[in-house]
Parts: sequence; structure tokens; C-alpha cells
Amino acid sequence: MLKRFLFVFFALFVILSLALSSIGCSQEATGGQGVLRVNLAGEPDTIDPNKASWADQITVANLCFEGLLGFTKDLEVKAVVAKEIPTTGNGGISDDGKTYTFKLRSDVTWSDGEKVTAGDFEYAIKRMLDPDTAAEYASFYYDIVGAEDYNGGTGTVDDLAVEAVDDATLKIELVKVRPTFLQLMAMWPVYPNREDIITQYGEQWTEPPHYIGNGPFVLTAWEHQSKLTFEVNENYWGKRPKLERIELLMITDQNAELAAYKNNELDMSRVPTGSEKTIMEDATLNPQTIRYFDLTTFAFQFNVSKAPFDNKLLRQAITTGIDRQAFIDNVRRGIGKAATSWIPPGMPGYDADLGSEYQFDATKAKELLTEAGYPNGAGLPTIKFSYNNSAGNQVIAEFLQGQMKTNLNITIELDGMESSAFQAKVNAEQHQWAWFGWGADYPDPDNWLPEIFGTDAGNNHTTYSNQDFDNLCDEAALELNNTKRLEKLAEAQEMIIDDVPIAPMFFRERFWLVKPSVKGLVTTGLDHQCPGDLFWNLVYIEE
Amino acid sequence: MLKYSLNRLFWIVLVLIAVAFITFSLMHLVPGGPWDREKELAPQVIENLNKKYGLDKPYVVQFGSYMWNVLQGDLGVSYSYQDRGVTEILLDGLPKTATLGGVAFLIAILVGVPLGMAAALKQNSIIDYIAVFFSTLFASIPGFVLGIFLVLILSVSLHLLPTGGWGTIDHVIMPAFALAALPAAYIARVTRASMLDVLRQDYIRTARAKGLAEYVVLVRHTLRNALIPVMTVIGPELAFLITGSVVIESVFSIPGTGRLFVQGVAQRDYGLIMGTTLFYAFIIAVANYVVDILYGVVDPRIRYD
Repeated sequence: MLKRFLFVFFALFVILSLALSSIGCSQEATGGQGVLRVNLAGEPDTIDPNKASWADQITVANLCFEGLLGFTKDLEVKAVVAKEIPTTGNGGISDDGKTYTFKLRSDVTWSDGEKVTAGDFEYAIKRMLDPDTAAEYASFYYDIVGAEDYNGGTGTVDDLAVEAVDDATLKIELVKVRPTFLQLMAMWPVYPNREDIITQYGEQWTEPPHYIGNGPFVLTAWEHQSKLTFEVNENYWGKRPKLERIELLMITDQNAELAAYKNNELDMSRVPTGSEKTIMEDATLNPQTIRYFDLTTFAFQFNVSKAPFDNKLLRQAITTGIDRQAFIDNVRRGIGKAATSWIPPGMPGYDADLGSEYQFDATKAKELLTEAGYPNGAGLPTIKFSYNNSAGNQVIAEFLQGQMKTNLNITIELDGMESSAFQAKVNAEQHQWAWFGWGADYPDPDNWLPEIFGTDAGNNHTTYSNQDFDNLCDEAALELNNTKRLEKLAEAQEMIIDDVPIAPMFFRERFWLVKPSVKGLVTTGLDHQCPGDLFWNLVYIEE
Repeated sequence: MLKYSLNRLFWIVLVLIAVAFITFSLMHLVPGGPWDREKELAPQVIENLNKKYGLDKPYVVQFGSYMWNVLQGDLGVSYSYQDRGVTEILLDGLPKTATLGGVAFLIAILVGVPLGMAAALKQNSIIDYIAVFFSTLFASIPGFVLGIFLVLILSVSLHLLPTGGWGTIDHVIMPAFALAALPAAYIARVTRASMLDVLRQDYIRTARAKGLAEYVVLVRHTLRNALIPVMTVIGPELAFLITGSVVIESVFSIPGTGRLFVQGVAQRDYGLIMGTTLFYAFIIAVANYVVDILYGVVDPRIRYD
């Protein structure tokens, strides 16, 4: 009796596992012709271009939308929906530099076949600046006449100087000269939008098939938290993309992503933190790796208005006392480049020689420390280093702790905390010393200096304040001669490096695996979530 | 019975309100808010966002209006998924998580109960030792380790199953087994202990003495009584499986509800935190409620009048 009982249960169990595994065998890798499968690493919070602010959101917006202007492979501004880049020569920019007139191409269509008009741009910009939209990049466009008041709730949309003169002409007036305005017009927040669609579907307009864009691809399916599927936009006005389909998966775990890549479910994969060396030593995977700079710099930022970091010599001593090459080799496992300056390679303003006085030199660092009034670290109060304690950052903090002890005999206390709590602390300038990273919104030093080191600037959490620096940035902001403008900003960067409100650490590199079947990939420093995502219309798959 | 049921239902509602209030208060006490970014947003932008999501109002008003909406079946807006409501997000993930949890639950029972029974009936035999060995093993291996192990063998090496995702039965197999391992081991141990206990009771000896068939003794007299403690365990296990496992859903990229909770906390998505917490509390309360009612059905000695 007992035997029969057990037998039935065992039989049930065997049948269940057989049934499941037999279906398992029918599984085939789906790497068909012309399908690019990449991990977006999570569900994008929104894919509304006007509202987008995170990399994954921008990646999606870029597949389906195109602006008046865009960026070339070399990150120069190019005309896309606009006929030409406005200049003072072609009448696109007024002589005082404050009025921009964009002439639109006549052959640009939406994915449903409608014509793209200047009115679509006017609508999109006004919507982006509407306080009810609460767009996170709205403040980037406050130089437009009426924008700051409208977005702040004190002005009206009628006072906003964005106007479609006719279907093919868009006029925008600025409060003051803004040499980088064309770069801002190449960014996603000012991509065009369809008033009729958004009015009709409300916030649901981002669900397919309502997600109507004017870009090379169109969103055909969105399985939430799982997959976004894009197909070629049949009404695309430009050169037809070579891919048939793009599938963006939402795998949150880096090791799961790598496993999916190895099982041929993905065509690209990040290399999980910690596996860099293993991948490089793997004979099959090593040739599939790509690496390139992505316009991001990391540093340790001092709070310069709090003791002891109000002491410039101390900051210089510490900056000289960190062995960055050891950091790259051991903590970053060879990925990235040691930095002694701020603006990263690939951007105008990058200066390879800048900050060479901070090359690691323990003896010099100790001398500086003595000059600062703390011989061999004596007399220093407890120093607290704050960071977001993800696994990767913990190692960085411990490295810093070790370097300070070994090279300068300074004891630091580690203050790791959860991400949002850390950001709140730094944003309130409650920290003493903190980990800090900055990535380019647009490829110009304008986005890297006044915004971070200007007195009371929004992202200035070193509390650094230098009148000369502010004056230089102000002059640069009004300088229409680009060479002169960049010279001024270069000088401003030199001031920062001399004053060291931050100890620069490294320029980040992306390190990815890409299947040999993926051809035509063009990577740029402005790629958002995935390699080459600005130019996936050029990619094709060759088995 | 009816009075007891209604009384319990009333308490469930009170518990849910208390959970909502505590979560709401803690959430606002934790440092950092939904707009604390590495690139700090302009003050005006933050003001616009606060206004849009009603965060500029006093806490009491926020809590009141939230609960009012919940009563109408609306769990509010997500602060990170700006274009979707929390109800919609949860309902989207629920069928996936519930399917996975359901399959794992079945596996856990189909493996756990027979294993525990076999071990008890053949106590101190090789079957018993094997059963105890496996239940100890799977009780000690964390689900995600088992999951990664399965992926490495069945996907990366043998290319039999997809590493993750959702859509076909293939996608369920590995996560379901990884999820079922711990509860199966647990159920097996409880079943074994409970069976051993019942088998030593006088009424079993009586049943055998009066010449009943061994099958009847086992199923009607032993199993039915031995399952009462098992049921106590199964209720919360079912709730646990259906609400989803954060870790397993991350390892296998399953678009369920399990991942949402942790994500909500990390991003200070107040809407998502409240929604998932209330949802979990509801499921767990209901599971316990059902188990309590079922006691009366299984065990004639238990009466609620």
C-alpha cells in the first residue's frame, strides 16, 4: 500500500518535470537576421521625450524621435529636421545673437504618415516648460524669453517666445546670448510631439500604438518590466535603417545579463563589476569586448567651507597622496583612465597635461601636509568620507581609507549610506568629503564648470566660491567667438584644478561585450544606456 | 462560525489601516526623497514635481486623501513610473508573480509532503536519511544561489532553457524550482515530524488492532491528522510565494511584483511603496484567515462557535 502511494507521487513528479523539460528542448535561440537584442537594464520610468531624464529613457526617445538638430559621430551639432544649422550668415541667428529661426525640411513625416510641422515643435517646447508637465530638464531652457516665469508658475504660456511662424519656420527668442543654445536644441527634451495624440490619450500616449514619433524606429510592443520591441518606421523620411527589429530587455541583474549573453539571448552585455579580468582572460570573450570613454569623470569632492577642508594646502596634499594608477589597476581592474583634471577625454577642453602636479608622490604629499599645518597627519580632526554604499563604492571607499593611512597617516572614517539618503546629505551640503561623479548632458565645458563650481550653482556641493572663476564663466557665457569662449573656459578649469575643491580620480570607460555578428556599431561619448544607441539605425546583423 | 469569520474580517481591515499609517510615516521619516538625484534638479523643477504629486500638502492631508483613494480601489500614482498608476503596475505584475508562486507552491507540496511521509514511515532507514539530507541541504542553500547554479548548468552550458524573462513555460521552470526548494524542504521536515508524532498515538494502534487496511490507517487516520501542523506552515508559505521573491525575480528577470517593492524603496517612490506594502499585508492577512477557517474543516475538534 505504501509503495503504491509513493509510486503515485513519484510518477506525478516525474511527469511534471518531463513535461516541463520536453518543452524546454524546443527552445531555440532567436538570433534571427536583423534583430538587435540589448538589455536596457530596467523598465524606463517614462519614455516621453519631453519628460525624460535618465539614460534608459533617452535611449528609447532617440530611437523613435528626431529633433531639429542632432549630434554627429564626432559630437558636432548637425541639422536633422532643420534644413540647416542656424548661423548669423544664413539669417538663422539674429545679429544680437538672441533670436533663432529654424527652417524645417518639408519631407519629414510622423510614423502615422502626418507631416512634421514647426507647430509640433512649438507645442513640444511649450509642453516641456509647462509646470504641470514637471519636466526635469526644463531648467536647461530658462534662457528662452518667458520660460523661467512660465515654468515657475508666475508667467503664462503666451509670454513664452517660441513661435511657429508658419509650418516650416520656428522662431525662438532668448533673454541673453547663449553660445551653447544649438547644443540644447539637439537634445531630447525639445523633440517634437503630437498635440492631437497627447490630448486624446493623456498619459497613456506612450503606450504603443499611440507612441507616434518621427524617428527611424517605431515602438510596436511594450511588455512592462520585461521587453520593448521596435520595428522599422515604414514612414521614416530619412534613410531606412538596416535592422528589422530591436528588442530591449529589462534584466536588472548584471550577472543575469552576462548569462543571457552567453546563452545567445542578447547581442550585447555589460561586463559585471568584478568580472573584468575573467572576461579579458577568456579566449572566446576577449575579442568580443569593446571599451571607450563616455564623458564621465569621478572625483572625491571636499566641502571647502568646513574645517579642515577649507585649507587649500591640505586638499592639495591629499590629492597628491592618492595613487590613481593603483586605483585603476586594482579597484577598476584596468578599466578607465587616471584623472588629474576634470573635463574628460572626448570633450573640447580636455587637457591631458593639466593637473600633472598631482601625480602620485608620497614624499611631496607629506611635505604639503606639513605646510598645511598637519605634520604627519598630527592635529587633524576626524575626517568622514560619505558615499553611496553599493558594492562597487564600498571598495572605492576602502581604497581611499587605505591610501590615506599608508601615504599620509590620516585616519578617515567611512560613512556609507543608502543611495537616496546619501544624495540628500550631499545636496544639503552636510558632508565633509564625498564621492562624486558627473556625466555630460551635452558635450561642452559649459556643462562642466559654472554648473558645478559657480558660486551657489545648483550642483555645487563643494560650496566652492571664487569671484575670478565666476567672472570668467560669465564672460564665456556671453562670448560668441567659440575659440575665445573655449579659451576662457580652459582658464576656468585651470583655476579649479589649482584650488582643488575636488580630487579628480578617473575618467570612466564603458566596457561591454558585443557579438561578432553585430556590424556597423558606432559608439560615441554621448551614448545613453547602451553602446552606439545614438546610431542604431546604422547597425545590422551578419550571421 | 459566521460571527467568527466576520470578526476576523473586521480585524483585517484595522490591521491594513495600521500598516498603511506606519508605512506612510516611516517613509517620510527616512532621509532622502524621490527627487534626490546625483544631478540635483533645479529648485523650481522640484517645486513643480512636488505640486504635481501633492507633496506640497501637509502629511495628514496627504495620508487622508491617499486612504480615500485606496477605498475606491485606486492605489495612487507612482512617482517614478510617471505615466502609470500603482494599481495598473501591480495588476500587470500580479499574474506573473502568482503563476510562478503557484507553480512553486505545487512543487513544494508535491515534493515536500511525500518526502516527509516517506521519511516518517521508514524512520531511520536509508530513505529517511536521504530525505533529511536533502531537506537540510535545500533549507540551507539560498534560492538565488540555486537559481544561478541552475542557469549556469541548464542555460549557459547546456543551452536547454532561457536564462530569464517571461512568456513561455520554459521561463517558469528554473525560477519555480529555485523558489520551491526552501518551502519544499521546510514542508518535508514539518510533515515528517508531525507524521512521527501521529503514528505513535493510541488511536493509530487501535485502528491497526481492529484490522483496518494499512491504506485506510495511513490516509484516513494518520495523514489527515498529521496535516494540521503542515497547513499552519503552508498558509504563510503560499502568501510568501504569491507576493513574489525579490531575489528570484531579479535573477530571472521576471516582470512580477516582487522587484517593485525594493525598487520603490530605493527610489523613494512613495506611491509604489504604499501600494506594494498594502498589497502584501492584504495577501498575508487573507492567507492566515483562510488557514484559520480551514482548520475547522480539517480538524473536527476545532470549533469556532
